Amino acid sequence: MAALDIDGLVKRFSAGDGEIVAVDDVDISIEDGDFLVLVGPSGCGKSTTLRCIAGLEEISEGDIRLGDTSIVGRKPMDRNIAMVFQNYALYPHMTARENMSFGLKMGTDLSKAEIDSKVEDVARMMGIEDLLEKKPRALSGGQQQRVALGRAIVRDPDVFLMDEPLSNLDAKLRTTMRTELQNLQQELGVTTVYVTHDQTEAMTMGDQIAILNDGKLQQIGTPLECYHQPVNQFVAGFIGAPSMNFFDVTLDGDSLEHDAFSYRLSPETLENVDDETTRLTLGVRPEDIEIVDEREPNSFRAIVSVTEPMGSSTHLSLAIGDRQYTATVPGDVLIAPDDQITVTFSEENTHLFDAETGRAVKNREHVRPDTEVQV
Amino acid sequence: MATETDRRWTNVAAVRSRASRWFSDIQEHPFFWILPAALFLGVFLLYPLVEAFRMSVTNMTLLDPTDYSYVWLDTYVRIFESPDFWGMTRVTLIFVTASVVLQLVGGMILAQAIDYGVNRGLHGSIFTRISVLSAWVIPGIVIGIVWKIMLIETRYGVINYIILQLGGDVVSFLSDGQMALLSTIVANTWRGTAFSMIMLYAGLQQVPDQLKDAARIDGASPWQRFRHVTLPLLKPVLFINIVLITIYTINTFDMILALTGGGPGRATEVLALYMYFEAFERFNLGTAGAIAVVMLVVNVFMTMIYIKYLLGEDEF
Repeated sequence: MAALDIDGLVKRFSAGDGEIVAVDDVDISIEDGDFLVLVGPSGCGKSTTLRCIAGLEEISEGDIRLGDTSIVGRKPMDRNIAMVFQNYALYPHMTARENMSFGLKMGTDLSKAEIDSKVEDVARMMGIEDLLEKKPRALSGGQQQRVALGRAIVRDPDVFLMDEPLSNLDAKLRTTMRTELQNLQQELGVTTVYVTHDQTEAMTMGDQIAILNDGKLQQIGTPLECYHQPVNQFVAGFIGAPSMNFFDVTLDGDSLEHDAFSYRLSPETLENVDDETTRLTLGVRPEDIEIVDEREPNSFRAIVSVTEPMGSSTHLSLAIGDRQYTATVPGDVLIAPDDQITVTFSEENTHLFDAETGRAVKNREHVRPDTEVQV
Repeated sequence: MATETDRRWTNVAAVRSRASRWFSDIQEHPFFWILPAALFLGVFLLYPLVEAFRMSVTNMTLLDPTDYSYVWLDTYVRIFESPDFWGMTRVTLIFVTASVVLQLVGGMILAQAIDYGVNRGLHGSIFTRISVLSAWVIPGIVIGIVWKIMLIETRYGVINYIILQLGGDVVSFLSDGQMALLSTIVANTWRGTAFSMIMLYAGLQQVPDQLKDAARIDGASPWQRFRHVTLPLLKPVLFINIVLITIYTINTFDMILALTGGGPGRATEVLALYMYFEAFERFNLGTAGAIAVVMLVVNVFMTMIYIKYLLGEDEF
């Protein structure tokens, strides 16, 4: 087990006459035993970053260190990492036992008895000892995933790399496996880099999440930091489901002017806004939109176009001006499509972004997770 | 008068209606739809097959094909007792085995090289594919003639010229028995490797990249990755490829006829050529028919393996 440092990582691919920069100057530090989730939309460079760490791609610039040692230029086997792939990548012609022992046979001098003993220990831990003599096609998706995880664990690596390992499972199994994976990682204490495009996985699984877009690292931090204090509009929109609402507004004096409403800002917020900046984007999370009485200050009217009852909450699709926005209200609030409602949001929960650069001008207060809970 | 015309038209309409009904009835029957194919197969495949079998149990000769009698299995007994037949069988076995092995190995090397080139975006992989494929589409008779020119046993032969330039002596590629068989095998391999390459290259595309990546992370060397991951996954394609090229090679006739004519002596006379010479040089249609039937049995056996494998194909 060791800490992993990625320093100025650049990966370029040649494409025709030009080049594509898949990963652009990414710096990430992962503490020994931490769980880092690399998240971003398709094509953002997260899988390429993972493959660079694994040694499956040669890097163009930068350094990758495991502990104090650079592993750049080493063969994948010599990096002492294990990888779990999206499609499990189990060898179809081998049994689960052969799949799990293949790496030990190829890369170590262990005797057959020692390999068998290690495989059986891990199989017991993963609850797959009855499946060892079966071939992958005889296993369900979840069982194949366990064998793939077992294959990674049995090698006792310094780092686990996981490339969207749950994306082929159905929704229910994915939730179960998510918890199991977290427990397993905590039990083994192995540094883990986990790639996903699913922000729910990112939020729920990682000690830290790193958000990538267009090959560039946007933000790295704890899930709640990234949720409450996004550094830019991209992170704000990517993290959280349903996504944050963005209103195009202009600053006129002390109020934000939108086509459908005016929103007065407090002097404290105005202090953060550059004097020359007038075009802003106001960001409000769906759960921060409240239904209020029409006499409430800073409130405005909206027409409900669609309701999506989720049980504990209901997502409302609201027509405000000529665009659609989302609000999340408690499940017991009864609202029907075409209803006219009055909504507002509290200023402390809003985010403001520079409309030109997307940079965050003002974020909501971050709720510290270390707040002590009285039992 | 008008009544007479009306009646005639009514009759015509009734006949037309009956014809139309008959035609639509017959269209309902599957026989109608397989008739063209059945006719084609019957005339051009089944009839010659039956005729060859019938000939094989007669003593028919080409000198007077109408004057013959049925000798039943005597022709087969004579063939199997003839040392010539076993000599030809031995030549055929060597020719087929060596050709199949070399085509497989050559095809695999080329397929891997092209796969490597395509994956790394190297130039020339399309050119290589076209070059190799062109050998496959050239008719066998032309290949025989081209190789005959290449192997001319004087300083003017292309290969002998190169050997002389390198300081060697002229090699008897076609007049020495063993060298002639070797030359025939090389020429046939040159032609047939393209087919194996196409099959195996297609097979390689089916091996998921993630498996190769997983094997790299597991610490397998390139050879171990090929031996333990790629090769087992290519097994179905490899097997079908072996069966198909074995069938093609057993039936090779045109290229050898043009290259060596079966010589020197009978050193390169494979069964297909033996059959041809029996029929059109020694005029023994009965014997030729019997050899054709023996070859047919071997081919049917290979085809049965092929079909059995295709039907029960195991995808792990």
